[in-house]
Amino acid sequence: MNEAIHPLARKTVVWHLAVTSLVLILMMIFGVIMLMNQGEMISITPQWFYKIMTAHGTGMVGIAALGGTAILWYFLSKYVKLNPAILIVNFVLFLTGVSMVLIAIFVFDFSDGWTFLYPLPAQSAKMYGAAGAVFFLSGMLVLGFGFLILYMYLAARLTAVYGGLGKALGWDIIFRGKKGYGPPAAVVATAMVIITNSTALLAGATVLAASLVNIINPAVTMDPLLAKHLTYAFGHIFANCTIYMAVIAVYEVLSEYTKRPWKANKVFLIAWNCSTLFTLMIYTHHLLMDFAVPKWMLIIGQVFSYANGLPVMVVTAYGALMIVYRSRMKWDFTSSLFFLSMFGWVAGAIPAIIDATIVVNHVMHNTKWVPGHFHTYMGMGVVAMIIGFMYYFNKTEGNQEHRGIDTFTIALYFVFFMGLVGSFLYAGGISAPRRWSEHLPQWVLSDQVGAVSGIFIVLAAIIFTARFFSGLRCVGSQVPYQKKSAAG
Amino acid sequence: MYQQIAMYATVFFVFLLALAFAFVYGESKRSGEYSTIQEKGYKIRKFYFLGLIAIMAFATVMTLGRLPYDSNQAEAEGLNEGIVVKVTGIQYAWEMSEETFKAGDKVQFDVTASDVTHGFGLYNENMELVAQTQAMPGYTNTVYYTFKEPGTYQILCLEYCSAGHHVMVKEIVVEPEGGASDE
Repeated sequence: MNEAIHPLARKTVVWHLAVTSLVLILMMIFGVIMLMNQGEMISITPQWFYKIMTAHGTGMVGIAALGGTAILWYFLSKYVKLNPAILIVNFVLFLTGVSMVLIAIFVFDFSDGWTFLYPLPAQSAKMYGAAGAVFFLSGMLVLGFGFLILYMYLAARLTAVYGGLGKALGWDIIFRGKKGYGPPAAVVATAMVIITNSTALLAGATVLAASLVNIINPAVTMDPLLAKHLTYAFGHIFANCTIYMAVIAVYEVLSEYTKRPWKANKVFLIAWNCSTLFTLMIYTHHLLMDFAVPKWMLIIGQVFSYANGLPVMVVTAYGALMIVYRSRMKWDFTSSLFFLSMFGWVAGAIPAIIDATIVVNHVMHNTKWVPGHFHTYMGMGVVAMIIGFMYYFNKTEGNQEHRGIDTFTIALYFVFFMGLVGSFLYAGGISAPRRWSEHLPQWVLSDQVGAVSGIFIVLAAIIFTARFFSGLRCVGSQVPYQKKSAAG
Repeated sequence: MYQQIAMYATVFFVFLLALAFAFVYGESKRSGEYSTIQEKGYKIRKFYFLGLIAIMAFATVMTLGRLPYDSNQAEAEGLNEGIVVKVTGIQYAWEMSEETFKAGDKVQFDVTASDVTHGFGLYNENMELVAQTQAMPGYTNTVYYTFKEPGTYQILCLEYCSAGHHVMVKEIVVEPEGGASDE
């Protein structure tokens, strides 16, 4: 049991996780509907397809951030005293923003994708009315504002406790030769996320505000290429950071389960500093087919996208393998999912790195290869970490125990997720474009494989969620006396 | 070609990764002294790190010399001496200054858009994506392609541009070298 966390924050973490798990199921169902339509198993109008697509993208990134925030807050509370009011404000603003986004999509027919690429929202506003675009863009601003408040507060707390974000990232050990270990992994990761996500949110706020102004007064315009830079500086970094928040649980819990320390040594700190820098730089791989971008910037997109794979491959995932190796660790729901999530993260990074190669991107950009790689590390990485944390939370804060159905559900989820991402990657390999409501006959089979896999993934997610909610009943009320750890 | 390389490379590396995870899972049931494991693990990691760097450096060297938007390279290969075609994307159609070509034609596509951002994706007769660039208002992106084979090629929109995105398709005909077929 985490005794350091404020009881109100503990309740708010439960709300974060409850909303995450329920929205996850809904968004997965949206994903299956899209695949079934592409696979000619059902028929919906293109307007509905693109509305669902917009909701799916926004919702999935949103809940990954929400679940990641719950993890970050829960574990950071062990080292830094945190005011639960900030987490509640973040949650309320999240719900407000999400409500506005849903109104935009399902009441005012907004369907311009979660990346709202300028000047598309303004063009759609001319055709379908401004309300949809205004609600969506404003909702995203509210959502972003909620996260920015959170990060500003966390920056202030880390500064107060550790003397600055630099020290929280271990700069005194890396650059000043200080001996020993850096701050706990939760602190290092939080510092990284504060820096990168605050930058992302400011970039996002700029393009969102500019798009809104453009809709209200079309005479005020923005350069589309600059807007695209800002959009992906926001979207890429924000989506990327969900895994950097969620991985805190892996560091904390695998160390607890194996009873081995996972300390922030110099290599660990260098890796996280590299991740901070590279994550800020590599969004340019989304612009590799914008030939007007300076060539040096695109080469940076390729080279640093490669380099960004190194911290996870060489330090985090390798560290997970090392800590589990010959540890006699107890394999249960949490440890299995966290172990597999590291596989999912690296497995997703492989096709991502390949696609960041400019010559490959030239024939694979915006094909289904792209959702293939990000579904791998989002679904088998971030979401696996969040679900693993849900069970860990119920186990440590309550008395949930591993059952046979949990082993079955994990196997169901991962086997069919391999099927889903395999179908995406194969479709990308045969040049099927992404974000098309209808597909040519040669692409349909891969969509059908994806849809069937998706149905079983939804089933697994429903079982995970049912188990989470059933376990919540005992949280806080029936914690066994002196129970301190989920591992034993 | 690059699609096949990407698929095989992904399968190969994911397989190696799965092997590593399966091995560690198998070994997790035994016990060992962590300090010894760390000592050995850090030694292996050095080679693993250098191996990854070597693979990445090799891929970088092999690919950065073949950038699709390198005008110097296009000049060296004579690609910029071919037919210049103006392409404009507009919801939901492609306007082109030329629509019929002959096998062997070297074509320079100057691509832009007049409303929102689109994606110019050139597909060959087997519906294999062979070249692409973004079509963005206010910018002209130049992409070069030599039509080696005759047939019906298609241009598909590859950047989401609203509800008619999937109907934004244009067919272009590449006739055999020396004239149209009698068939």
